[in-house]
Amino acid sequence: MALAVAINPKRISATLRWAGAEFLRFVPVALISTLITFGVTALAPDDTAAQLAGDTGTLQEIANLNHAFGFDQPWPQRYVTWLWHALHGDLGVSYFTQIPVTTSIAQRFPVDLSIAIFALVIAIVLGFGGGLLAASRPNGVVDRAITALGSLALAIPEFWLAILLVIVFAVKVRLFPATGYVATSQGLGQWARHMILPSLTLATPVAAVIARQLRISMLTELDENYVTGALVRGYSRRRILFKHVLRNGAAPAVATVGLYTPSLLGGAVIAERIFALPGIGALAIDAAQAHDIPVIQGVLLVTIAVVLVSNLTVDALLGWLRPGVKRS
Amino acid sequence: MKAVLVKPLELIGRALPTTYLRIAAGIVAFMLLVGALGSLIAPYDALAQDSAHTFAGPSWSHLMGTDFLGRDTLSRLIVGARPSLFSAVVAVVIGLVGGAIPGMASVLFSRRVEFVVMRFVDALMTIPPIVFAIAIVAGFGNGLPEAVVAIGVLMIPRFFRVVRAETLKHASAQYVEAATLFGASKPYVLRRHVWRKAVPTLGVVSASALGYAVLGISGLAFLGLGEIAPQPSWGSMLSDDLTYLYQAPWAAMWPGVAISLTVWALNALSDAAHTGLVREAEVPVGTESEAPETQDVGSVEPALQYV
Repeated sequence: MALAVAINPKRISATLRWAGAEFLRFVPVALISTLITFGVTALAPDDTAAQLAGDTGTLQEIANLNHAFGFDQPWPQRYVTWLWHALHGDLGVSYFTQIPVTTSIAQRFPVDLSIAIFALVIAIVLGFGGGLLAASRPNGVVDRAITALGSLALAIPEFWLAILLVIVFAVKVRLFPATGYVATSQGLGQWARHMILPSLTLATPVAAVIARQLRISMLTELDENYVTGALVRGYSRRRILFKHVLRNGAAPAVATVGLYTPSLLGGAVIAERIFALPGIGALAIDAAQAHDIPVIQGVLLVTIAVVLVSNLTVDALLGWLRPGVKRS
Repeated sequence: MKAVLVKPLELIGRALPTTYLRIAAGIVAFMLLVGALGSLIAPYDALAQDSAHTFAGPSWSHLMGTDFLGRDTLSRLIVGARPSLFSAVVAVVIGLVGGAIPGMASVLFSRRVEFVVMRFVDALMTIPPIVFAIAIVAGFGNGLPEAVVAIGVLMIPRFFRVVRAETLKHASAQYVEAATLFGASKPYVLRRHVWRKAVPTLGVVSASALGYAVLGISGLAFLGLGEIAPQPSWGSMLSDDLTYLYQAPWAAMWPGVAISLTVWALNALSDAAHTGLVREAEVPVGTESEAPETQDVGSVEPALQYV
């Protein structure tokens, strides 16, 4: 039966059409966001060559450096070259350290990715759990408590929450380490212990948004006629809530998760600073101070790529949750 | 014109009877007042150091204590309100102007132009704000204007999408049809009638965007981007407090409380105005059906999408 559904030709063609539409949307977005990335960094006033040549540099030396970096080419040409190389995994070389950007990012990106993914899991568990609890007894004590907690979580800046968590769990109780990162190769337990505070920090506002969105959409669903119908037919409240209302109401909450991926990644940058983690945020800030453009471009590109991938995943999930709804 | 500006205030006013919202409105007004007066009401010079009294706890001479250089925390908090709040206002204005006008005009675009503009907006939405701000600072230098522009530009999509959705909704109303039948051009109808219908929603979005911008600007200041030390701002104060967390853990309370209170109050007001709008919308505006949304992720309500 399941197999018959899986190889249903109608379904396959619908999936293909969906994939085609996604692709049509995805490619221009990717192109434009890389163009913005390149534009804001490459079109900025740039005196890197003069800086590198130093005080004793002659005009000829500066001109040579400009030529070596390709600064003397028109920017559309530079963009195409840069993008072409980036597609082949070459993000250029740092102006100052001569280390390939790909190497630096590959070294540091796992840190941010672990925090972000850890945070996403926590946010989904807390958010869906809270939203479900709140919606199961609307306007009850639990609902009001969760709603109040949620609006508090949305107002507290992540970096302050992080400091509070450090004060409570690292300075007072000493349950978790305040700073540092341990690679997974040195033991999963230690890695997780170091991940908990940063991830919890990032997860809190996202969890609040998810819970809030889920509550609203589930309450809307509860007013629908099919719920009354199911109640009349004698289905238990629990079954209706979990089997029907949750599935139908989950879509907006899932869409919210997608919308918050960029801020999750940005939050990881802040968390890095507080918990002294060696991630790409620290790399980017150092590069910003040194005006090291290739590094900045690389970091922006990688984070945007992660956001794009997560958007595609969310879209696929939404398509699965609501097969009937056409999204263009 | 006047009625249009008063409308969102009216909606807030109608919702204000609850104490909860009066408190929220009071907090916002208070913070803005403090930001406007700034150093006029600060008890000390925010930059004056006193090496004999570092890390002092709250006392009558220093109500909130002093920091690692012996500077008065209360004065720094008061003076820091201006860069923390008013730069957020500027960022919201950038997002509002950059998003609302193209958002309304997008209804008039041909399908091809519309596709390009929509993808441009989608692209802006994929860029993580903090990382983008770091890039802007890298290219154009570290300063408050750069940070504000970075936050403002990335706020364009939320205004664009909300205004576009509103415009589409109202553009299919019967009075628009009637005006068109009388020979009015579409741009004229938008300019004359439709834009003011979007204003209340814009007020709601602006309030929540302002909270978001306060968080963003403070986050950047926390990272050392934007306002340059020794000038105080709430975010940079927290950054100092983090450095000396073991000496004076309670010092991190004050700027954190200031930011959270402001953002909470803005969100509460935005929510209240939103509820008021939804209630009002239940009285039909003259549209039989909502205009189809061509660009959205699912059917998330436009205003809710960004709270």
